[in-house]
Amino acid sequence: MRPRYFLAVLFFLLTSVFFSCRSGSVNSRRLLIYTPHGQDLLRDFVARYKQKYPGAEVQFLDMGSREVLERVRVERNRPQADLWWGAAHTTFQTAADENLLEEFRPSWADKVPEGSYDKQSRWYGTYETPQVIAYNSDAVSAADAPRDWDDVLDPKWRDKVLIRNPNPSDTMRAIFGAMVWRFQKDTGSTDQGYEWLRKLDANVHEYTADGTLLMQKLGRREGLITLWDMPDVRLFKEQKNLPVAYNLPSSGTPVITDGIAIVKGSANQEEAKRFYEFVTTPESLSYAAQKYYRIPVRTDLDRSTLPAWMNEPFTRMPLDWDLLRKQGSDWLRYWDTSIRGRSSKQ
Amino acid sequence: MMLLSLNKIEKSFGSTRAVNDVSITVNQGEFFGLLGPSGCGKTTTLRMIAGLETPDAGSIEFEGRSITNLPAERRGFGMVFQNYALFPHLNVFENVAFGLRARHKSKAEMEQRVAGALELVQLPGYGKRRVDELSGGQQQRVAIARAIAIEPALLLFDEPLSNLDVSLREQTRGELRELVTRLGLTAVYVTHDQEEAFALCDRIAVMVGGKLMQTGQPRELYERPAEISVARFLGRNNFIKSMRLSSSNSSDGEFKTLEGDHTIKFEVNHDDLAPLNKPVVLAIRPEHVRLTAPDTSVTNSFKAQVRQVVFAGATSTVRVDANGLLLEALVLQPNGLQVGQECSVVLAPEHLRLLRNE
Amino acid sequence: MDHTARKLPVLLLFLVTALVLVYGVLYPNLAVVTTSFQRSGQWTLANYRDVLAQRVVLEAILTSIGLSVFTVALCAFVGVPLAFLFERYDFPGRRLFGALAALPLVLPPLVGTVAFIFLCGESGILARTVQHLLGLETSPWTLRGWPALLLFHTYTMYPFFYVLTGAGLRRVDASLAEAARSLGASRVAVARRVLLPQLTPALIAAALLTFMTSMASFSAPLLFGGNVRVLTLEIFTARQRGDMTIAVTETVILATISLAALVFFQRYEGTRKFVAAALKGATRRREPIKSGGVRVMATLSAIVFSVILVLPVATLILVSFAGDGSWTTQTIPSQYTLGNFRRLFSEPQSYEVFLNSLLMSAIAAVGALAWSFCVVTLLMRRVRSRVLGPGVRRILSLLILIPWALPGTVVAVSIAEAYGQPGSLLGSFVLVGTFWILPVIYFLRFMPLVVRALQASMEQLDPSLDEAARSLGARVWQRFARVTLPLVWPGAVAGTLLAFVIALGEYVASVLVFVPANRPISIAIASELRDFNLGAAAAYGVVLIGIIAISMIVAGKLERWRA
Repeated sequence: MRPRYFLAVLFFLLTSVFFSCRSGSVNSRRLLIYTPHGQDLLRDFVARYKQKYPGAEVQFLDMGSREVLERVRVERNRPQADLWWGAAHTTFQTAADENLLEEFRPSWADKVPEGSYDKQSRWYGTYETPQVIAYNSDAVSAADAPRDWDDVLDPKWRDKVLIRNPNPSDTMRAIFGAMVWRFQKDTGSTDQGYEWLRKLDANVHEYTADGTLLMQKLGRREGLITLWDMPDVRLFKEQKNLPVAYNLPSSGTPVITDGIAIVKGSANQEEAKRFYEFVTTPESLSYAAQKYYRIPVRTDLDRSTLPAWMNEPFTRMPLDWDLLRKQGSDWLRYWDTSIRGRSSKQ
Repeated sequence: MMLLSLNKIEKSFGSTRAVNDVSITVNQGEFFGLLGPSGCGKTTTLRMIAGLETPDAGSIEFEGRSITNLPAERRGFGMVFQNYALFPHLNVFENVAFGLRARHKSKAEMEQRVAGALELVQLPGYGKRRVDELSGGQQQRVAIARAIAIEPALLLFDEPLSNLDVSLREQTRGELRELVTRLGLTAVYVTHDQEEAFALCDRIAVMVGGKLMQTGQPRELYERPAEISVARFLGRNNFIKSMRLSSSNSSDGEFKTLEGDHTIKFEVNHDDLAPLNKPVVLAIRPEHVRLTAPDTSVTNSFKAQVRQVVFAGATSTVRVDANGLLLEALVLQPNGLQVGQECSVVLAPEHLRLLRNE
Repeated sequence: MDHTARKLPVLLLFLVTALVLVYGVLYPNLAVVTTSFQRSGQWTLANYRDVLAQRVVLEAILTSIGLSVFTVALCAFVGVPLAFLFERYDFPGRRLFGALAALPLVLPPLVGTVAFIFLCGESGILARTVQHLLGLETSPWTLRGWPALLLFHTYTMYPFFYVLTGAGLRRVDASLAEAARSLGASRVAVARRVLLPQLTPALIAAALLTFMTSMASFSAPLLFGGNVRVLTLEIFTARQRGDMTIAVTETVILATISLAALVFFQRYEGTRKFVAAALKGATRRREPIKSGGVRVMATLSAIVFSVILVLPVATLILVSFAGDGSWTTQTIPSQYTLGNFRRLFSEPQSYEVFLNSLLMSAIAAVGALAWSFCVVTLLMRRVRSRVLGPGVRRILSLLILIPWALPGTVVAVSIAEAYGQPGSLLGSFVLVGTFWILPVIYFLRFMPLVVRALQASMEQLDPSLDEAARSLGARVWQRFARVTLPLVWPGAVAGTLLAFVIALGEYVASVLVFVPANRPISIAIASELRDFNLGAAAAYGVVLIGIIAISMIVAGKLERWRA
């Protein structure tokens, strides 16, 4: 009997020792950034940062902003990332409410407009992204393209509209939310908003799985019209050579604030703060504006350093973002179960 | 000299009792048979000897030491399987050398012993062949070579000839026996074929339904089966249900057949074997049933009518009906016997057996 | 004394098996199950009531099951005849086409779906070609909904049937078929009455793997499911909406369906226990097709099939040479460049991902192989024992398949949650943020493949071979190394290769837990896709496929290796 138990215990101990040795501790001197901004932008900025601060070690993991949230949630007991750069302010607010973000007040904290930062300084806005109506510029002339939200519902666009699946997308959640909210704020009911989405659904050719596919399909004329964010459409038009163009909705457009935050309890807070400050200097912001079409949030910049199109005026749609964040999920669930694919093509 | 002994071993699989209270002894140099119909527990018994199964109760001793719980791989018994169980991924040489490798023999010794074993089974020079290139008979010999190459203390056979065709089986049988004798090996041989067992074995244990019925030399078993099941299994028999008559005295038995209402007389040794006025079974082998011209003066002769004559080469089987009692007789030359013909059957008292009825 | 000595190896096997299952499956998933049965701290069935009361969820459940059943049927319909054709007959070009037949295996879902969209999509090469040929105004089809899903599933999952049936056929006792033929049975009767029963374990293993893969399929419904609602998508949507409880409840439902299928298949499997006669089953020479017409037909069908198989990969290769933005309304890209590959091999962060993925997949696959031997040895033990009765074995089989039955996201999240911080139960055992988290997840997710493949091989192993080895004096290790291992080797290699290859392209779980030190290929591809560097993404895909092709050739050599 005895040797059996002894061996069992011994084996167990050996296994655990083996694994605990291997699991080891994370290299804590490197700054780790989670970001959806894409590796092109990140590599560029990391290189510039290292140029300024030789010896700094920076790593980044690029993934979708929802995936960042999911990861930060999972890792909350043992945070891996120090800095979270990029996501809609609604996502950041969710993370802040779940106590995942560290308070930090950057040097330029008073240079951002109201609503573009967290009252408790857990995130600050960096870029802003107005939503636009994009179209395939080879197939649709600028004159024909829809100029406002309701134009998209025109039956002539039946089966011509592409929409990014809104569930995992901050952009689409904002647009759909805005469409429901703009009626609800007056009537107190979601009915008209849902009716709007139902009419949109009737025109939709396909809900695509991600933004890249959306742009690709638009460029390849699988559909002619879409709703998407301005910087992305510009980037695809000017850097990826896709035949796409956009109109800013005349009645006003929801503007998402893209933010930056320090992850709660992370190991390299000082380095994270330094990087945080570095990418939000006026130089960095105008560099990002020039090269990556990011519209800066800071109000104290010399507007002449920005591309001309950024200085063109557009109408903002005033939105109750808190309400959107709280009720948006219910609206989206209703859309998902009762509108999507149910009302179309009868 | 006693080499192997099984003492009251038992083995159950689930609710079926495969082997029930079996005790066997095997002597040095003996060719011992385990004979019985399929499902009688003979293979399970052999597997317990081999160490492939562990008895639930009882003990197994080899050379006076208990090996009941000794793993098969440490027993050093060679075993030949029914399907030969040759390793399909190894060639003939490697198959035969398998047990030698397990014993870490030197290369030279291994080669010499494999060659020797292949020589013994008359397959010299087959070492490089793949086993699936061999005929059934050749595979069977490789299996034997593999088992004897390890110079086993005991050689176990599990119906090794059952997959061969009839003529090959008889030839291999002879060679097998000769080989075992020549090497001075002790063998335990499982078979359901009584002819095979009789031809090969020095002694045979007959098993039926998990129980050991009788152990003895082939002739003894054949001529004096103790049990009706043994008699039924070994060769053909006429079974005559009868009643011992109360009028007869102790030594001179007088029986009334239940079918045909004939009177049979023969000497009984023990009264308790044949209680008065109770049904018993008398047995007589067909070759001991004599057919004569109609004549009822001889003891135990009854009038009968020929029902069927079956020609089977050297002998013929004649089925007769003696007033409702159906009997079989084996005759060398059925000259003149015709279906429907009247005759007499004679049951010689010295060949009659009184059987224990289970 | 001897008794204990013999039990010891079994005890060790049991310990190894139990440790992995407790720490890898039970403990992490316990949280998932408890969450689904709790609401504000109270034990309740309310979550299930709520979820099942939704018409959408019921629809999703039925759709998932229906999709999986159709997928299994179609995959069997394609895979089994192909395995017969390539394993049993010889005709010109068989080797080449036989090797290509398993090609969809080399397409990781992420790469595969993208290649599929380029090829068969609404504006893909095929659609544009047809459109130009017929002079159509619009695209002749859309790649959406049931047909698209079934097409993609069949394309990607039929190798389960092809590979496992092939391995099974190689072990089938050909003399049995010959005997049946000599007894006057027709070819069809031979196939039905002799071959089929012998192949049953392989077929059932394949059906099970296909069913479960299809149930857990995510990328395809996401990318071209259209309005087909499957359970994985519902779970994804619920997570994105933040309805974690609903997501978890739906996950448990999904796993339950998959495991119910397992139980169903296992029962059927149990009735067909058989042992192929060991001899003449080891190899089988292929029958050459002599009849001219049939020969031409076989060769022709092989060519057609190969072209179909090669097309997505060819598309990927084409795109990998495409200049960015050079492909909008044209049938094929208009400009070509080597730039994508040049970039891939010049930047360390680009080629490091290959080393990472190779290392992690190898660790996971070899670990899964070693562990599978422990598990399968336990599961296949014929000795009756009180501790390891049939009930315990069934539970073991179920536990092993849980990670496979769950969507990758769920496995990753549950492991990360369970091993995210030092705890009283685990000591300093932390996986999150380490290199090891991905190998562990790959191991857990793909070891069922190895276990199933090995089990199917073991079931075809004649137990008297092991007994013969015992009687010849071979100890446990000698028997394993010299009898069992060489005989189950082809099946084991096939299963391990499958696990290795699938792990190489794993994405959905990786994305949630990868760290800079183990950034895998799939993440690099996803990054390139997000940046719309389609050419670069395709180049990664092409190199990945190259690596997989090489590992398949190596595995083919390994498979022929004999102890």
